[in-house]
Amino acid sequence: MKKKVLSALLSVAMVATMLVGCGSSETATTGTATTEAAATEAATEADTAEATASEATADGYELALVTDLGTIDDKSFNQGAWEGLTKYADENSISYKYYQPQEGTTDAYIETIGLAVEGGAKLVVCPGYLFEEPVYTVQDQYPDVTFILLDGEPHNADYSEYKTNDNVMAILFQEDQPGYMAGYAAVKDGMTKLGFMGGMAVPAVIRYGYGFVQGADAAAAEDGTNVEVMYNYTGAFAATPEAQAMAASWYQNGTEVIFGCGGAVGNSVMAAAEEANAKVIGVDVDQASESATVITSAMKFLSNAVYDGVKAYYDGSFPGGATTTFTAENDGIGLPMETSKFDKFTQEDYDAVYKKLAGGEVKISNDVTDSTTADLTLTNTTVSYVE
Amino acid sequence: MNVIYFIFQQTMFFSIPLMIVALGGMFSERSGIINIALEGIMTMGAFTSILFLNLTGGKMSGQSQLLLAIVISMVTGGVFSLFHAYAAINMKADQTISGTALNMFAPAFAIFVARIIQGVQQIQFTNTFRIDSVPVLGSIPVIGPLFFKNTYITTFIGVGILIISTIVLYRTKFGLRLRACGEHPQAADAAGINVYHMQYAGVIISGMLGGLGGLVFVVPTSTNFNATVSGYGFLALAVLIFGQWKPVKIMWASLFFGLTKAIAASYSGIAFLSNLGIPSYLFKMIPYIATLVVLIFTSRNSQAPRAEGIPYDKGAR
Repeated sequence: MKKKVLSALLSVAMVATMLVGCGSSETATTGTATTEAAATEAATEADTAEATASEATADGYELALVTDLGTIDDKSFNQGAWEGLTKYADENSISYKYYQPQEGTTDAYIETIGLAVEGGAKLVVCPGYLFEEPVYTVQDQYPDVTFILLDGEPHNADYSEYKTNDNVMAILFQEDQPGYMAGYAAVKDGMTKLGFMGGMAVPAVIRYGYGFVQGADAAAAEDGTNVEVMYNYTGAFAATPEAQAMAASWYQNGTEVIFGCGGAVGNSVMAAAEEANAKVIGVDVDQASESATVITSAMKFLSNAVYDGVKAYYDGSFPGGATTTFTAENDGIGLPMETSKFDKFTQEDYDAVYKKLAGGEVKISNDVTDSTTADLTLTNTTVSYVE
Repeated sequence: MNVIYFIFQQTMFFSIPLMIVALGGMFSERSGIINIALEGIMTMGAFTSILFLNLTGGKMSGQSQLLLAIVISMVTGGVFSLFHAYAAINMKADQTISGTALNMFAPAFAIFVARIIQGVQQIQFTNTFRIDSVPVLGSIPVIGPLFFKNTYITTFIGVGILIISTIVLYRTKFGLRLRACGEHPQAADAAGINVYHMQYAGVIISGMLGGLGGLVFVVPTSTNFNATVSGYGFLALAVLIFGQWKPVKIMWASLFFGLTKAIAASYSGIAFLSNLGIPSYLFKMIPYIATLVVLIFTSRNSQAPRAEGIPYDKGAR
């Protein structure tokens, strides 16, 4: 009996390993297929890059981008930065290449940046706050190389020292402005019951939320309507049934659109919106492709920021040693009007409010010390802060 | 009335995955094997089935796609739990440790493979599975909106699993033998039952239900899968203990957990609850406080299987 069981088990194990083996080899082939496809793409890219390289310089690739956790087609930070870099490089026939770290650690980033420098890079773009520590280290290590750091400022491991050398440009975004525009557009579009679901109450998220509420209030004041805003920080950047249930209950209670501001929290909001046939506002990048419920997104224009940074470097006006904040004034933020699904809010309205923001006519309070919106002075808006 | 329907429907999104996974855990533990790996098994089941939804998206949709995904999640969970079964039953390893190993392995594996296949770790899927209203049944007053509107086919599968589990555990030869192995395996062996067989069966069933639970958990609550089930596997363990390893009690426990969680998450959108002025933390605490209280009262005569967690040793006296 025992032998029988043992043999049965062994055969099951064997079949299982075979199946697993087949499965993995299958995925492996698809894997290689995609990598091959990617490789050919990369190769053609590299070819064009090399072609331009041979015209421009003889020693490697001048512009480099080191990706953070994703790839250059991640529909997020890497892709935005890469688009900005390639745009300038193509316009000016400069050679470029991207490097992908083996893993997402500070050491791996530093190593990959080193690789880019050895490859002839004069300017390295580092997208994402994960590069704060690596850039802090390499700015001293490679004083002749220039770095552009997106969404962060260089600091050491325990945050005790912030230092931006002359060869580093740190880029931050004024999140309250795209938030303001999203809130303004939503109310101008005829909605009066809004919601804001942030992730953790970190400064960037708070600024988005504060901008959102004030934008809604400004539009309501102009139109003489009254607006209600449900306001919550879920406490995590994760999609959970809790987040979905909260969004669903808001929609159930009449909320027309929710600004899902906190990574995967937005996905839970979208799931709830699909159920209730309601609307969502995306964040950071254009999220219209993720769900049909996304009517617009409060965006940071990464590619513009990178383009400007690279351009400034070649024009000799590189703002090194300081942090540059991208706002409406330098086309650093906005809404993606091409993919937006507004009924009444038009391109002209958009341009008008953008101009006001850029001109400094609109003052947005973005003090993040109190995150509950209790410190905001609002005329036509009631905020229900949900703990 | 609408509010009550809404809370009930939301409760189902919490309760059904918890119940399915807890029932899975029950089969394993009643056979004498602690299955702390439920979290990891859920992750794996959700991973492969959501990947399937992603890859077949556009080509397939609706209930047939979901049913195939359900099969895939169950197969994955079953196969994945074999690691635990082999370590715990054949190698007589510490069951908590091998379960923890699976829990640590699953999300890492899901992220790794997702990155290899598609570059990013979040796997997108399109939810075409929601049933607005079941034909005929959905138009029955009261019962219609409660059970047959804004629901998923998985809800009914969950109820089916509950009924089948109860019958299998209490009304079949297999169930009796399984329970015997969890209480006193030596005696079961002496009566001619193959203990290893039974324990393997218990763990594999728990793996299948765990994998299914992962899929059921992710589908209504997000538009992508990000290699996590947010600790619901562990919560299912709490439900299992709260339900004292008995199917019907597990159902009540998961409904209770689901209801309190649904209220805690959605009270802000429900006028009469948010007007009560009760701090949200209180809502969030209720299920855990209740678990503690129940454990205090029942620990004296806990219904836990006697031989749970002890590797079966044929020669033990």
